[in-house]
Amino acid sequence: MRLPIAAGLATAAVSITLYPLFSALDWFWAGLGAILVVTTVSALTFRRTVPRWAGPPLALLALLVYLVAVFAGDQAWLRFIPNLRAADALAALLGEGFDAIQRYAAPVPPRPGVLLLTTAGIGLIALLADVLAVRLRRAALAGLPLLALFTVPAAVLSDPIGWPAFIAGALGYIGLLIADGRERVGQWGRAVLVRRPRAGGTARADAAPLALTGKRIGVTAIVLAVGLPALLPTLAPNPLFGFGVGSGNGPGGNTITIPNPIASLRGQLTQPVNAVVLSYRSDDNASRYLRMYSLDTFDGDQWTMSQPKGRPENRVSAGPLPAPPGLGQGTPVKAYSSELLVSEEVEGLSFLPLPYPVTSVQIEGDWRADESTLMVFSTHDTAGGRRYTVSGQEPRPSYEELRQAAGAPDEGLAERYLRLPGDLPRRIRALADQAAGDAATPYEKAVRLQRWFTTEGGFTYSLRTQGNGNDALVEFLRNRAGYCEQFAAAMAVMARTLGIPARVAIGYTGGTGVNGLWQVRTHDLHAWPELYFDQVGWLRFEPTPAGGIGQATAQVPDYSQPPASATGEEEDGRTTPSAGPNDQDAEDAVAAQRAPRDPDAVTGGQPALAEEGVPAGAKIGLGALGALLIALAPAAWRALTRRRRRAAWTRGGPAGASAAGAATAAGPAPSLGRAVHGTWRELADTLEDLGLGHDPGDSPRALARRLVERHELDAETSAALTRIAMAEERLRYARTPGAISPLTGDLRRVRRALRATVSRGRRLRSVLLPASTLRRLRQAGGRVLDGFDRLEMIRLWPSRRGDDGRAQAPAETRERVPAGR
Amino acid sequence: MAVTPDVGPELTELVTTAHRIREAIESVIEGKGDVVRLTLTVLLAEGHLLIEDVPGVGKTMLAKALARSIDCPVRRVQFTPDLLPSDITGVSAFNQQTREFEFKPGPVFANIVVGDEINRASPKTQSALLECMEEHQVTVDGATHPLEAPFMVIATQNPIEMEGTYPLPEAQRDRFTARIAMGYPEPAAELEMLDVHGAASPLDKLQPVATTAEVRALIEAVRAVYVSQPIKKYAIDLVTATRRSPDVRLGASPRATLHLVRAARAHAALDGRDYVIPDDLQALAVPVLAHRLLPSLEAQGQRRRPDQVLEEIVRRVRVPEGREKASGGAGPAR
Repeated sequence: MRLPIAAGLATAAVSITLYPLFSALDWFWAGLGAILVVTTVSALTFRRTVPRWAGPPLALLALLVYLVAVFAGDQAWLRFIPNLRAADALAALLGEGFDAIQRYAAPVPPRPGVLLLTTAGIGLIALLADVLAVRLRRAALAGLPLLALFTVPAAVLSDPIGWPAFIAGALGYIGLLIADGRERVGQWGRAVLVRRPRAGGTARADAAPLALTGKRIGVTAIVLAVGLPALLPTLAPNPLFGFGVGSGNGPGGNTITIPNPIASLRGQLTQPVNAVVLSYRSDDNASRYLRMYSLDTFDGDQWTMSQPKGRPENRVSAGPLPAPPGLGQGTPVKAYSSELLVSEEVEGLSFLPLPYPVTSVQIEGDWRADESTLMVFSTHDTAGGRRYTVSGQEPRPSYEELRQAAGAPDEGLAERYLRLPGDLPRRIRALADQAAGDAATPYEKAVRLQRWFTTEGGFTYSLRTQGNGNDALVEFLRNRAGYCEQFAAAMAVMARTLGIPARVAIGYTGGTGVNGLWQVRTHDLHAWPELYFDQVGWLRFEPTPAGGIGQATAQVPDYSQPPASATGEEEDGRTTPSAGPNDQDAEDAVAAQRAPRDPDAVTGGQPALAEEGVPAGAKIGLGALGALLIALAPAAWRALTRRRRRAAWTRGGPAGASAAGAATAAGPAPSLGRAVHGTWRELADTLEDLGLGHDPGDSPRALARRLVERHELDAETSAALTRIAMAEERLRYARTPGAISPLTGDLRRVRRALRATVSRGRRLRSVLLPASTLRRLRQAGGRVLDGFDRLEMIRLWPSRRGDDGRAQAPAETRERVPAGR
Repeated sequence: MAVTPDVGPELTELVTTAHRIREAIESVIEGKGDVVRLTLTVLLAEGHLLIEDVPGVGKTMLAKALARSIDCPVRRVQFTPDLLPSDITGVSAFNQQTREFEFKPGPVFANIVVGDEINRASPKTQSALLECMEEHQVTVDGATHPLEAPFMVIATQNPIEMEGTYPLPEAQRDRFTARIAMGYPEPAAELEMLDVHGAASPLDKLQPVATTAEVRALIEAVRAVYVSQPIKKYAIDLVTATRRSPDVRLGASPRATLHLVRAARAHAALDGRDYVIPDDLQALAVPVLAHRLLPSLEAQGQRRRPDQVLEEIVRRVRVPEGREKASGGAGPAR
């Protein structure tokens, strides 16, 4: 009976770890119901005359009935008997659930389909655990399905699971193991591993003490598992890189750090919290991608940014920004202006998210523009909480102009934006050529390339892939699965192989808008390629799939989708997925939003610090310091105790003097009592610390006498000691304590005399590792264990074996005085 | 320890009187301060004393010296196998003149009764004495005759000669407040004894230093000595520990607890203290409790005597830490 219940409890405990996946609690109750059904059926069939093999199928049937009753009750006979219609309904719900899982990022709203999937999954795990633990008696193996359940949130989310949930799950599993162990030992005979002898024999082995031992080991293991990692310095790879601007190591500390945009991207996209980063309004109500970084260098491993140059004359406050590179006079432009507000929660963001291209930025602080890329950044200020307005002129070239635009007009541009590492795999070039097909002009090649990524190439959007180097690039092109960073990087690299100047931009998509107010969230962080065309300048392309199966708010620019007639190509109808923002998603995201998160969390706060990270030496030093502090804690506690006891005199002192007269038969003034008792206990603790222990049977008077005799204390010290002892004695036992003068001085004298009687090492130990404090710590630990024991002794119902006397037996044996051996 | 200055006049009186009595007795019994003090303690605690020792160490001398120095009637009964209960309590004799039965008080009608070699008398006679000790009265032929206070029985027992004796059963030993052994005197004390006792008995020179009334007042003063709650608890702890000790077959009775606390009061008063401290109980634990314990067979096999068991218990039972439990300031773990 115990085992099925333990298995059910374990499954329930582990299922708690699913909490970050859902935005409401419905799944838990539904899952609990499934576990309850499985456990009940299992427990009922455990001891009955049902054949052994029949248990699991019966439980499975019960689970099915439960699912039908809960999710398809209106279709079933009598609301719970499964029939074809109910099965159809369930299947439809299942499909809906799979769709929803594809569509939503965690936390998922409680859609019925998702609930059904979750409930069925938990129920099956419960069934599997039950089969392994109860039928096959392999309780340890039952950990595997539980582990599978446990890994779901760990795999889906990059955030670690909260430790309380981990503890709950681990406790559940340990409970299952203990129950199994007890059943096993119960069939053997008497338990050998007992902590305390118990009186009274029972026919069946009593495995409770064994379970106690197991629990202690298990609890210790959990505490270590949770506690140790928290104490150890982590050896996380340092994700930061920094570089100087201007004078670099100059006296002004004129350096900035930027995060590795690539590295932070995926982290932001997988964050469970989808916080608002910024919001903006435009005069034309249009959404625009907001770029922060422009990565121009591909070194074969990753895209990085060459040093931006922020000259003083390029301060944004100094007037219009440098003209967008490459934009010719003849190209039609559309003027726009926007007002942006960055959330106050954003920290350390030193690059402004801006549309491209901009001509002017009005913002407080020292912000400078990089001439060639028009990135706007600051070495002193951060963007968090700032409101700024930008205006600019978007190129609106005609398809004809684009088709005729040349690639790289001058050497400098080509040198910078066409450079590729020498060891670029041939396969990439081959793929690029294949994708470009017979396109003649750079623009047509770019459009073909984009279409190859979005539709023809069969790429899927997935946050599960990693890396952006050569190998990773090839890997991505082979697997055809990745996320925006890899799409952008791949398209930029391939564009360069085709002779189109390309770079990777990192920033935010246009976000989701309501009534012209656009909100950009953490999950809108994005990477996209920018390609250069002569007379038009840099244009954004969008190879990443958009919508529910990709980057939700990505939008394919109009100019990259020429009508079939314009490009002269026959295939066009199935170009890109719709890019419209999904309002339902936005609402769910708002509902799921708990605490706004810093979108740039990877950046260090202080440039100087972030440049190197915390050095490993400092971490070790900090760890050592922590260990030292822990080691010194008993000494500090001891010192505090001594102070407190001494301070009791100054608080109780004046009262104590008058207490001599005021004290009545009812007892002395409590403050005086505390002071005197404190002094006495301080003396006793000092003796203990110095290793001059005394019998518990020593009265104050006897102890004083013995100390004077043994250590041959001088007359004055023994008088002081006697005063302390007498004060304590009178306070304890006399009808009235009488006049007691402060004993602080006496105590000091006695302490000094006692310390002089022991060796130097002993004195040092008495300060650093005071025995009295250590004993109290041990006692506290013992009390905690006793508490566990008492919990263990609680019996909810009287024992069937009718050995009532046993309950008192441990207490008896414990108090029995083992008078001298 | 020094006399606490602020005690009442009764206690000061008690200390001086007790000191006089002690000096008087010690002029007869040399080098036995502890025994004398314990004897006084039992007297003031209204108890009875069992002296168990070999012949010739001064058991009777002690009793007589005590009686002489207080100036009260003292009777000595030599217990023999043929002694009858009426030889102790007294008899009703027919008076020829008045033609009535008259009560002739026995030796028990005295303030201090010395029962020599009490284990030689038959149990019937022993129990007659023990009844007087407990009830402080004698009932003969339906008439009850109260005994005058103070009333103290000092019985002696010879542990060596076992043949033809009736050792006191446990239940009866329980009625004695304390049992002591005189022990042989120190060589120096014995030498002095030779010098002093050689010529004449010092008992003859002993003058009473206190009256019966004074002793009664002293007993009253002892009753007023304060016993705090923790001390009562401590006494119970000690007694309980004897009951739980695996070395003891029969632990101390509740009467033992009563005797222990009463004797502790007297012990404290003799120190000039108006309150009892654990040291009083500790000092009295062996004399008051040891003769009531029956060692277990294992303890007997290991030749562990009850007094050793008691010393161990006294060492181990935790001394009470004061009365302030509720304030949280006096928990033992603090």
